[in-house]
Amino acid sequence: MAALVLPAGLLVALLLVAPMVLLFRISLNEYSPTEMMREATTAANYLRAVGDPYYRSILLTTLTVSMGSTLLTLGLGFPTAYWLARMESRWKSFATIVVMFPLLVGNVVRAAGWLALLGNGGAINSSLMGLGLIASPLPLIYNTGAVVLGIVAVVLPYMILTLSAVIESIPRQVEEAASNLGAPSWTVFRRVVLPLALPGVAAGSVLVFVLCMNTYASAVLLGGPRFKMMAPAIYDQFVRGNNWPFGAALAFILLTITLVLTILGSAALGRRYRRPKEELS
Amino acid sequence: MSITRRATLASAAFAAASAGLPNLGLAQARQVVVGTWGGDYGELLRQNIDVPLLAPQGIEVLQDIANADPRKTKMLAERTARRGTMDVSCLSDTDMNMMAQQNTLETLDNSKLSRWASVVPSLRKPYAVPHIYSALVLLYNPNKVTTPPTSFADMWDPKYRGRVGFSDILYSTNTFAAAMAGGGSFSDYAPSRAKLMELRSLDAKIYPSNEALATALKEEEVWMTPMWLARGYMWQKAGIPLRHVVPSEGVYAILFEASMTRNSRNKDAAYAYLDAMLRAEAQVAFADRMGYLPTVTDARLPPEIASRISLSEADQARLRSPDYDYLIRSHSEILDFWNRQFKG
Repeated sequence: MAALVLPAGLLVALLLVAPMVLLFRISLNEYSPTEMMREATTAANYLRAVGDPYYRSILLTTLTVSMGSTLLTLGLGFPTAYWLARMESRWKSFATIVVMFPLLVGNVVRAAGWLALLGNGGAINSSLMGLGLIASPLPLIYNTGAVVLGIVAVVLPYMILTLSAVIESIPRQVEEAASNLGAPSWTVFRRVVLPLALPGVAAGSVLVFVLCMNTYASAVLLGGPRFKMMAPAIYDQFVRGNNWPFGAALAFILLTITLVLTILGSAALGRRYRRPKEELS
Repeated sequence: MSITRRATLASAAFAAASAGLPNLGLAQARQVVVGTWGGDYGELLRQNIDVPLLAPQGIEVLQDIANADPRKTKMLAERTARRGTMDVSCLSDTDMNMMAQQNTLETLDNSKLSRWASVVPSLRKPYAVPHIYSALVLLYNPNKVTTPPTSFADMWDPKYRGRVGFSDILYSTNTFAAAMAGGGSFSDYAPSRAKLMELRSLDAKIYPSNEALATALKEEEVWMTPMWLARGYMWQKAGIPLRHVVPSEGVYAILFEASMTRNSRNKDAAYAYLDAMLRAEAQVAFADRMGYLPTVTDARLPPEIASRISLSEADQARLRSPDYDYLIRSHSEILDFWNRQFKG
């Protein structure tokens, strides 16, 4: 059986692990404006990134936006996923396609759509100004809210599809049993559906959180030039600043923090959903 | 010979199959990969160089389209490779100088360029041919800015609070404009710091791209910006209410160049391409559509275009290339200040 893992394993080693090792090596080099970088083994790039308030604030923005977007996506996605999972009409497959529909459009194209809607000369501002309700355009883009909106629109399908697959596997009878025993619907949700759906909540949240942490297009196009998240900051170092060692160090910091938070989050939720199972048995 | 349904199907299938196969033999001998911007620039290269000048020589041109920064990154990543993926690279003079310093470019053998003698002498470099050029000017909206400005320093007039706009990607020349307004020079951008922070408190606007800035100028959200004269010409043609003034502090030249990568696999075809870029008729087409000036002495522009994109003789005499060495040394500092202090 182990041999079956070999092809995929080799592919991952070749296309993911090897470049990562190379990138890590680069992150220990020294930047030089004339030679691009000098061979070295120094932690200076990491120390600079951690010690610099500018990069700390970018990291904080990234974390806040990612966590906020993940929670919002969970809040918006759960009811939809529940409705989709419990749907019995012949429209179910159609509804699933509708949920998946945003995935058919690239992130950049979608962000361009938001710009056409929310921009200063966009549909909303033009209509409001045309109606004489406002004198100057409302600042609907180039702020944190616009970025969160853009991100949620991108990641919502992932959350809904993950959650609905898990909710579908929860037998409807357990909900009916709880209702029969007199539980109001909020209690059924809180004591029965949610605990049983926790694996889905964990999987969906991790997936969405990782996507949010790596947001690029929404941050650049909807956040504007003053808004900074980690992925655009890394791109800036590599491509505009030509400072590969520092860019690589930033990339590894982002990777490590995402990984640690993901593991901690999954572990915390994991403990929660093992408990009800033990109580049931 | 009658054409049967079966024969038609078979030949269609053959054509479809062979279209998908790279023609390896031909590819090695007569192909040139040109790293360039997309949009107008790439399209004009295709219309005026690739098709009319290179195709008759049996050379197939493939464009590797991206903005300058990703292409520079690619050149750096490939610089130790024996065989690169790009033969000709089109970049601005500052970027090209940086790439030359990083040892990614071939030193050109001018005897292989039949057009070399026609190149404006002051634009010649050992590692690149000049393609087109323009100057940094101050664009303004004549409907809103009724007293025409004369210098970069006019952007700091409190009358224009919130009405000065910048393109984020032009951070280096925006910083230059601020430096000059603050008494700096081509080799000293230090005065830009105080001036940029002053402009920040005057609510200067920053747009992520030149296109976003153009939209803001068109909607009269901002009235003034430092920009290439050539782009100002294109925007005027597109109906944006704009005039330009050559700033009194200094005239900064933007020159677009083309060079051959050191690890090019098709050097002869690359020379043929560089030579074709210097042909007068190809250069005139860029002037007409994009407003850039020719870099060869024998290109004749129609007078009505020449009057709109050329500099006066006095301004032409003041035209200077940036201090490349200074920019290489200070580039990351300039970018850092722009991102962290001015935008932050």
